[in-house]
Amino acid sequence: MRLAGKKALITGGRQGIGRGIVEAFMAEGAAVSTCGRGDRPESLPEAVAWHSSDVADAERVMELALAVGPVDVLVNNAGVQVEKTVVDSTDADWNLIIGANCRGVFNMCRAFIPVMPQGASIINIGSISGKVADPSMALYNASKAFVHGLTRSIAVDHGPSVRCNAICPGWIETGMLEAGFDLSDDPHAARQDALARHATRRFGQPADIAAMAVWLASDEAGFATGQLFTIDGGMTAASPINTGLF
Amino acid sequence: MTGSLEGKTALVAGGRGGIGRAIVARFLREGARVYAADLTPQGSLAAHDEDGSIFVKLDVTQEADAIAAMEQVKSEAGKLDILVNAAGIEIEKTIEDTSLEEWNRSFAVNCTGTFLTSKYALPLMRAAAQSGHSASIINFGSYDGFIADPGLAAYCATKGAVHALTRAMACDHGPEGIRVNAICPGYIDTPMLQSFFTGDGSGGGGKTIDQLQQAVRDVHPMRTYGTPDDIANLVNWLASDEARYASGQLWVLDGGLSAQVQQMKL
Repeated sequence: MRLAGKKALITGGRQGIGRGIVEAFMAEGAAVSTCGRGDRPESLPEAVAWHSSDVADAERVMELALAVGPVDVLVNNAGVQVEKTVVDSTDADWNLIIGANCRGVFNMCRAFIPVMPQGASIINIGSISGKVADPSMALYNASKAFVHGLTRSIAVDHGPSVRCNAICPGWIETGMLEAGFDLSDDPHAARQDALARHATRRFGQPADIAAMAVWLASDEAGFATGQLFTIDGGMTAASPINTGLF
Repeated sequence: MTGSLEGKTALVAGGRGGIGRAIVARFLREGARVYAADLTPQGSLAAHDEDGSIFVKLDVTQEADAIAAMEQVKSEAGKLDILVNAAGIEIEKTIEDTSLEEWNRSFAVNCTGTFLTSKYALPLMRAAAQSGHSASIINFGSYDGFIADPGLAAYCATKGAVHALTRAMACDHGPEGIRVNAICPGYIDTPMLQSFFTGDGSGGGGKTIDQLQQAVRDVHPMRTYGTPDDIANLVNWLASDEARYASGQLWVLDGGLSAQVQQMKL
C-alpha cells in the first residue's frame, strides 16, 4: 500500500485516465476525492468522494479547496480536446480548451499549493501532443505545452515543499480513441496502422498511466520533480517514417 | 557583392560527398578559401567537376591523415576559421544483424572522425579566433539522434553521440572563441538516402522506389524532403559571423518531420 495515509484529489475522475488513477490510488490505500462537471457517476466506488465542480471556474475551485481541505497528492487530469486547426477554431473553442486545460490547472494549483503539506506531490497530465504536434489539434497541443511549462515553474517555485511533475500519455484506449477509429473509412486498417507504430504493438490503458501516477505520488519519487514522463508505448521514440507501412 | 565568408578558411570533411559538395560550393560562392577533405577526389559520387576547392586526402578514421591535413592547411593558410564534420556512413541493420566490425566502422567514421578532425583543427581554429572573429565548428548529427528509424541502430547511436560531443566541445572551447554546433538533417536527397530506399533496412513492401519516395515526401509537413542546398544554407549561416552568439546547439532541419506525432492513416 504505497499511498497509505495519503489524501489525494484527482480532477476529472469520471472516466478514462482519471478514473484509472482514482482506482489505482484507492488500491494503494489513499483516501481519494475526485471532481467533474455534473452529478456523481453511478459507477464511482462508494469510498470515493465526489465534488461537482468545473476546474475552469476559479470561484468553484476555491469552494472545492475549502470542501476538500489540504491534500498530499493533487492530480490535474481534467481536460478537453477539440479537433481543429487554428483557422477553424472559434472563440468558444478557445475558452473551452484553454479554460479547462490551462486555466483549470492554474486554478487548482493556486488554490491547493498554499495548503499542501511538506512532501506533497502535484501530477499534471500533459501529453505527447505538447511536445510534437497532432494534426488538427492546434489549441489542444498548445494547451498541453502550457501544462508542461507550468509544471516546471511550480517545481522550481515551490520546490522545497511540493514536487510537481507531468505525465505525457500517448494513445490510451479510452472511448475517445475508439471514436477516432470509427470515423475512418476503414477502422480495422486504421487500427492496425496505428498499432504498428507502437513498439509495444498495443495501445495504452488508463492503468498504464495510473501506474506512473502512483509512483510519482509515492515517497519513492522523492527526488523526482520538474520533469515530463512520457508513457506512449515507444511511439514518439520512432521516426514517423516507417517504410514498412507504406 | 562581398560574400559572408570573405577572408575565411574552411575545411569540409566529407567535402566531396552528397551534402559536403553543396557546402563546399556555397562556401566558395561566399568567398571562403575551401579545403574539400575526402577519401578520394570523387568522394561518394561517381565524378567530380573542378569547383575551385582544394582537395585534401582525408580518411577521418586515421589520426595520421587528420594531422597531415591540418599541416597542409597550416602551411598554406596559417589558420582555420571553419570546420565542417560532414563525413558519415550508415549501416542499415538492427543491432542483432550488425557485426562488431560494422559497429566499430560506424563509430570510427561518425564519432571518431569528428573527434580526430576537430582535435587537430583546434590549434588552427584558436589562431583564427585571435582575429577577433569567432571560429566555427559544425558537426553532423541527425534527427535520428533524437528518434529512431527502424533498422538503423548503430547510425542512430553514433548521431546521439555526436550531439553530446557537440555540447561538450562547445563548453570546452567557447572560452577560446570557438563555437560548436551540430546540424541534424532529416531526409535529404543524397546517395545515402537512395541507399536507404534500396537497402535492406527500408522494408519496401513491394513498392517501387518512386512510390517509396513519394510516400516519404507525403509524411513531411512540407510534403517534400530536403536538398543538400537546404543544409548548406544553414551551415553557411552557422559558419558566418552573423551566428556569433550561436553555440552548443542542435539545429534540426527536417521539413517539420519531427515536429509532428506519427502520421496515422485515419
